[in-house]
Amino acid sequence: MNVTQILFWFLSVLALFGALMVVTSKNPVHSVLWLIATFFSISGHYILLNAQFLAIVNIIVYAGAIMVLFLFVIMLMNLNKTTEPKKNRWLKLAGGVAGGCLLLVFIAALKSSEITQQTAEVKTGDIGLIKNLGRELFSTYVVPFEISSILFLSAMVGAVVIGKKE
Amino acid sequence: MLKDFLILMKPELVVTAILFLLLFIKIGKGIKNETMLPLIQVLLLANFLLGFFFNQQGVLFEGAYSTTPLIVFQKNILSLGVYLISLLCTDWLKKSQNLPEFFMLMLSALLGMFFMISSGNLLIFFLSLELATIPVAAMANFDLDKKIASEAAMKMILSSAFSSGILLFGISLLYGATGTISFSELPQLLDGSPLQVLAFVFLFTAFAFKLSIVPFHLWTADVYEGSPIAVSSFLSVISKGSVAFIFISTLYKVFQPMHDVWYNMLVILAIATMVIGNLFAIRQQNIKRFLAFSSIAQVGFILVGISSNDHTGLTSVVYFVLIYVFSNLAAFGVASVISGQTGKENIDDYKGLYKTNPFLSWVLALALFSLAGIPPTAGFFGKLFLVTAGASNGSYGFITVVALNLIVSLYYYLRIIRAVFMDKNEQPIDKIKINPAAKLGLLICGAGIILVGVLSWIYDYINSLT
Repeated sequence: MNVTQILFWFLSVLALFGALMVVTSKNPVHSVLWLIATFFSISGHYILLNAQFLAIVNIIVYAGAIMVLFLFVIMLMNLNKTTEPKKNRWLKLAGGVAGGCLLLVFIAALKSSEITQQTAEVKTGDIGLIKNLGRELFSTYVVPFEISSILFLSAMVGAVVIGKKE
Repeated sequence: MLKDFLILMKPELVVTAILFLLLFIKIGKGIKNETMLPLIQVLLLANFLLGFFFNQQGVLFEGAYSTTPLIVFQKNILSLGVYLISLLCTDWLKKSQNLPEFFMLMLSALLGMFFMISSGNLLIFFLSLELATIPVAAMANFDLDKKIASEAAMKMILSSAFSSGILLFGISLLYGATGTISFSELPQLLDGSPLQVLAFVFLFTAFAFKLSIVPFHLWTADVYEGSPIAVSSFLSVISKGSVAFIFISTLYKVFQPMHDVWYNMLVILAIATMVIGNLFAIRQQNIKRFLAFSSIAQVGFILVGISSNDHTGLTSVVYFVLIYVFSNLAAFGVASVISGQTGKENIDDYKGLYKTNPFLSWVLALALFSLAGIPPTAGFFGKLFLVTAGASNGSYGFITVVALNLIVSLYYYLRIIRAVFMDKNEQPIDKIKINPAAKLGLLICGAGIILVGVLSWIYDYINSLT
């Protein structure tokens, strides 16, 4: 077991544990903090795959900007135990059964596929470097890039119209 | 290279040009709605007419974008629908505070649909599906002072975000299982292993959300009821049509090796969609909710056509969507004229409409006859070809259920016609002065409903394209 593998397992355990804590913690602010921890460990995975640009963007945009927004919204909404809606016991049971079925299907599908014999190639490939990524983005993937620019433009127009009260 | 690019991507470029023109008009000094709306209508008509010229077949950006005569024809159907909506909803649009923005959003959604139909890999498909959905959610909220409109927009954005999440999950699983996202390479790599089937089910679910196939239809009725009629008609005709086009082409071309899997899924979902759509349509009181469930049932019939898995299925679906554009837009158009002038949207208010507004009543009757599939109208031929295509597999039990559902649908369409023509009402809707633009739109729809069925060369033309 070399350093990369140790790091991989450490980050995976951290990401899964963080994700579990996001769902199970009672306090919404704690959930957000655990989500930040999850994002950081996923960024670590990106670095292991040599996707440096993606790792930095993930930290700046997701763990930084979006999580601050989340925190603001949660604090503005002032969530606490009394405002929390009561959950039906049967609903919980149904959710558990449905989730368990999905898990079973996933395990069955993954078990019989060839994907289990393939492992991710860590520390190889240089497509994740900013220089190569930029070149790809403006040559091979220029159409998706332009489509997303129109998408942002229309999202902005929609947000302005909805947000602007006469 | 540049010439190829300009000619092949012409529909997208024209829509983008109109979109930015509207943006600059909005940024510059304001133009009154009375002059703005005819300008927009002319631009949309030009967009539709330009779709018939300078068409070529080809592939751009290493297969990421492709166009064929069939794709051009599908884009023309969508452009026609958008032009008709701009005519039919004149009353509401004139009162709107944000007219240029409304059409900017509508055109960016249309642009997304164009790219979606032409897409050659899953990345462009996903992005353009988003572009076709997110602006519509903003459009649903354009009645800014109504609470129900915000609710509709919220439901739409949440359900579409959920379905996008499922779609992305499916795409990532498919990429993990095959190692490619290109539509041309995928068929050779699909062997029906459990992981691929799971990925395919996720993709199918995303399509089902957009097409509002039962059991993924729960957002439909609330969104249609809450949003302005212009948006409801856009959702039910243009969105549904475009997703049906890309759905059938991915099933037939990309997922052909998994035919056994999706045939069974289609049969079960088609029956569920028709039955639930029909049963719920019977008990609706609001005309928009009624048309929502009727459109769910119509999607069920489209699935019957798709299940045939040969080129008659493709032909019949494109032909049916063309007819559906005319018939459903005529029904929404009448509802829009009445709602724009009187604000009434309940079916009970329509009682005795024939006494005061014979023209609107006849257009509505024609549209509903076409949706129900009664012979002189085009809807009959559309349904006939869909069911014939579905029957080509020899599964007669399935076709019997489809035929029974056709009878049920006849009941609730005729219920409205009875209210309009036969029921007595103390205070029927007053005589409505129809705006000339809306009248033109209703006449085009009415002519389309009759002519598309009678002129057989239209079906032959579509058949030659597929």
